[in-house]
Amino acid sequence: MEINYIGELLWPGKLGNLFIISSFVSAIVASLAYYFKAQNPREQSWQKIARSSFYLHTFSVVGIIATLFYLILNHRFEYHYVWQHSNSELPIRYMLSCFWEGQEGSFLLWSFWHVVLGLILMKRSGDWEAPVMTVFSLVQVFLASMLLGIWLFNYKIGSNPFTLLREHPDFVNMPFTKMPNYLENLDGRGLNPLLQNYWMTIHPPTLFLGFASTLVPFAFAIAALWKGKYTEWLKPTLPWAFFSVMILGTGILMGGAWAYEALSFGGFWAWDPVENASLVPWLTLVGAAHVMLIQKNKGGSLPTTFFLTLITFIFILYSTFLTRSGVLGETSVHSFTDMGMSGQLLVYLLFFVFLSFFLVVKNLKKMPKQDNEDNLWSREFWMFIGALVLFISSFQITVTTSIPVINKVLGTNFAPPLNPIDHYNSWQVPFAIIIALLIAVGQFFKYKKTDPKEFVRKITLSLAISLFGSVAIAAALQILNLNYVLLLLSSLFAVIANADYMLRVLKGKIRLAGASIAHIGFGMILLGALISTSKQEVISRNTSGIDITSLGEKFSNNDNIMLNLNDTLRMGDYFVTYTGKRKEGVNIYYEVQYFTKQKDGSYKYEFTLNPLVQTNPRMGNVAEPDTRHFLHKDIYTHITYADLEQVEEKDKNEYLEAKEHKIQIGDTIFASNSIMVLKEITSQIDREKYNLKETDIAVQANIILYDILNNTYKANPIFAVKENFVTPIPFEVEELGLKISFNKVDPETGDLHFSVSEKRGNRSEFIIMKAIVFPFINILWIGCILLIIGTVLAIVHRIKISK
Amino acid sequence: MKKTHIILLVVLAIAIGVIISTISDSSTYANFSEAMNNPGKEYHVVGVLNREKDMEYDPQKNANLFTFYMIDNNGKEAKVFFNGTKPQDFERSEQIVLTGKYIDDGFYADKILMKCPSKYNDPNNNGFTEVKANS
Repeated sequence: MEINYIGELLWPGKLGNLFIISSFVSAIVASLAYYFKAQNPREQSWQKIARSSFYLHTFSVVGIIATLFYLILNHRFEYHYVWQHSNSELPIRYMLSCFWEGQEGSFLLWSFWHVVLGLILMKRSGDWEAPVMTVFSLVQVFLASMLLGIWLFNYKIGSNPFTLLREHPDFVNMPFTKMPNYLENLDGRGLNPLLQNYWMTIHPPTLFLGFASTLVPFAFAIAALWKGKYTEWLKPTLPWAFFSVMILGTGILMGGAWAYEALSFGGFWAWDPVENASLVPWLTLVGAAHVMLIQKNKGGSLPTTFFLTLITFIFILYSTFLTRSGVLGETSVHSFTDMGMSGQLLVYLLFFVFLSFFLVVKNLKKMPKQDNEDNLWSREFWMFIGALVLFISSFQITVTTSIPVINKVLGTNFAPPLNPIDHYNSWQVPFAIIIALLIAVGQFFKYKKTDPKEFVRKITLSLAISLFGSVAIAAALQILNLNYVLLLLSSLFAVIANADYMLRVLKGKIRLAGASIAHIGFGMILLGALISTSKQEVISRNTSGIDITSLGEKFSNNDNIMLNLNDTLRMGDYFVTYTGKRKEGVNIYYEVQYFTKQKDGSYKYEFTLNPLVQTNPRMGNVAEPDTRHFLHKDIYTHITYADLEQVEEKDKNEYLEAKEHKIQIGDTIFASNSIMVLKEITSQIDREKYNLKETDIAVQANIILYDILNNTYKANPIFAVKENFVTPIPFEVEELGLKISFNKVDPETGDLHFSVSEKRGNRSEFIIMKAIVFPFINILWIGCILLIIGTVLAIVHRIKISK
Repeated sequence: MKKTHIILLVVLAIAIGVIISTISDSSTYANFSEAMNNPGKEYHVVGVLNREKDMEYDPQKNANLFTFYMIDNNGKEAKVFFNGTKPQDFERSEQIVLTGKYIDDGFYADKILMKCPSKYNDPNNNGFTEVKANS
C-alpha cells in the first residue's frame, strides 16, 4: 500500500539527483570531447562540445551543492544526509561544516575545487587546454560517480547525498518508515560537537583545495607525456606547483593547529595515519616543484620530474583510499568507516597509477637526455638530492602507514610499531637534518658551477653564528640527544643563512625574497617543533595522594594531578586551585585558577584556564584542552578524569555504599574527612536504650574519631545477637556524616568486622588534570606563517617573470 | 662509477633500511598466553572487558592506576594494570586493544585503544578511542 507521508519535500531530492546524473554524464562527454580535440587540434567543433559539457558539469556540481545546502538550511530531515549531519538547533556558522562532515559532502567540496581550477585552466592554458582538461574531466567522472548511489550488478556505485531517511538501508524496515507523520517530531542528530569549532570551518576547504590543486601539475604532466612536449609544460606548471605547495601546506598546518587547540592529543602532530596521508603528497610535491625549478633553469632529470609530479597526485588518491576505505581500522582513530566504496576508490587509484606508469614507460626512451652529469658544486645537484631525500622521507612514512594494507595484501599479521612517534622520528629527524642543511646552503650555490672559495666565504658567517647559537641554545635548554643537537644546528643554520642571503645578496628586495622567506619559515617550523616537543614538560606531577613507588618501577611516573575543589596545589612554577565547574550545552567547563607565590609568601593571581569535557552524544565524552599562550611558552591543560554529574544539594545527605574493614583493637580506619581509632570493646551497654533483653548477646565498640582540625568525636556501634539473629546496631556521627556498623566478631582470627559509609557530601569534588608546558612553540607558528607568505611571494614573482 | 649510480645505491640502501626497520619496529598481535610466555616483551592484545569482575580506579588514592580484567580472543583472562586515568566510558567498550607487556602478576598496558558502540553508526569515526599511559 502506498503511504502518503505528511510534510515531505521531495522536489529538491529529485532536482539534486538530476544534477548528479548530469554532472556524471557531462563529465564523460567533456573528457571524450576534449580527448578528440587533443587528438585533432584543428577540429574546433570538439572544443565547443567539450567546453559546453564542462560548463554544464560545473553548473551541475554547483547545483548539487546548492540543493544540498538548501536542504540543510531548511532542516529537511527527511533526507538522510541532512538528518545525519545537522539538527534544527545548529548555528548558521556551522552549517558549512556539516556540509563537509560526511563523505559525500567532502567529495563534493573536492569536486567543487576541481571545477573552479578547471575553469581557470580552460581560459588560461592556451594550447594545453584540450589535453589538460581531458585529464581534469576524467578525474571528475570518477568523483561524480562517488555520488551516484546506483546499483550495478550487485555492486553499489557511490553514495547518494539525496537518499531519503526512510529509504536509507540502515532504516528501511524500521517502524517509523510506515508512519505517515514521522516527520512531525523528527530532529536531526546534529553536527558532531567536536567539529563545531572555527578550525573545522576553514581547515577542510583549505585542505581540499590543496588536494584539488595537485591535479593541475598532474594533468600538465600527463598532457606533456601524451603530446610529447617534455619540457614545454614546465613553464605554465611551475606557479601552480608552488600554489599547490602553499595551499596543501596551509591545510596540513591548520589540521595541526586544530589538533593542538581542540583535541587532547597533547601536541600538534601525532604521526596518525590520517595526518600522514596528507603530509606524504606534500613532501613529494615540494620535491617535484623544486625539480621543476632545476629543469626550467638548467635542464636536469626529466624522468624524476615526471615521477615526482605524477606520484604526488597518486599519493593523494592513495590517501583518500586509506582514510575512506576503512582499511586503517584500529590503527587510526580518525579514519572514516567503509561506506562500501572501497572497491570504487581502489579502481580510481589503480586507473591513474596504470595510466601514469604506461605513459612514463612509453615515453622514457624519447625524453631528451641530460647532456652531462651535474657538477658537485652546482645548485641543481643539491636541489636534486633534496628532492630525493623528500621522496625517501615520504616513502618511509608511507611504508609504516601502510602496514594494514600490507597485511591485507600479503596476509601477514604485523601490528603497527608500539611506539610510533619514536619509530617515525628515528627516520624523519635525520631526513630533516639533511633537508635543513640543504635549505641553508642551497641558495649560495649557483646553477651549473660555483666557485668553492666564494661559497665558503659567503657561508662562513652564518655557519659560525649558527654554531654558537645552537651550542648556546642546547646548553640553555639541556638538549643532549645528538640527533636533536644536529637538527637544532641545521635548522638554525637554515634560518640564519637564508636571512643572510636575503639581506646581503638580495639586498632586502622583498619581491625576490620569496624563496628565502619560505625557507626561513620552514627552518623555524623544524626549530619550533624540535624545541617544543623535545623540551615539553609535564608539570602536573601528582603532589597529592599516596606515593605509588611501592608498586615498583613498573609505575614510575605520575603525569596527572588530582585537584580537590578549592584546594590549592603546587604545579610546576604555579599554584593551582580548582574552583568549580559550569555546564554550557554539551560542554562542561572546569575552572582552574593559577597563582604564583610572591617573595613575601602571598599568592598573586595570574590567570584562569577552563579545560572542558564535552559530553558528546556521538563519541562519548571528549576532553578538550585549554591553553595559556605566552610569548615564550604555552601551558596546555586537559582533563583526564572528572565527575561529570552535578551533585544536587538534596543528594548530599545520601549515604554511599559502605566499605568493609577488618581490624583489631588499637587499629585505625581512614575516612575521607577523619580517622577513627578502635579503643576497646566492652559488654557494658545501656541495654534499655537499645532495647536489648538480658538474654541477647551484645558487645559495644568504643571508637574515637579525629577530624582534620583534631576535634574528637565518639562512636559506639553495637554488635548484637537478638534471639539468634545477628542484628548490628549502627552508630551515626552526624557531624562527620559517617555511619559505622559493627558486623561480626571472628572468633578464630580475632578480627572485628566494621563497615563505614559516608555521605555523598563528604567526598569533595575533584578533577584530574594533565598539564604540559610547550616551550617556544610560537617559533613553529611564526614559521608556518612565513612559509606561506614566502611561497606566495615566490608565486607572484614567477607569474610576473613568465609574462 | 658515475655519481648517479652512487646516489642510486644510497637510495636503495636507505629504502631497504626503511623496510627492515618497519618490520623490526612493528609488533605482533598476540594473545595473553603468548605474552605470559614471554614476559617483558611488548605485544598488542585484542579482547573484551570482563564485566563480571571489578574494575578498580580510586583517584583519591592514586589517580594514575587503573586495573581491570580483560578476556582475550582465545578466552583467556588476565588482570590489566594501566598507568593512567580510567578512560571515559570504559564500561561501554565493546572491544579493547592493549599495547604492553606481561610482568609477574598481570599485563601492564602502555596504551588502551577501545571501541565504543556509537548510539548511531557514525560514518566519520570508526569508533575507536585511544588512551595512552603516562610516559
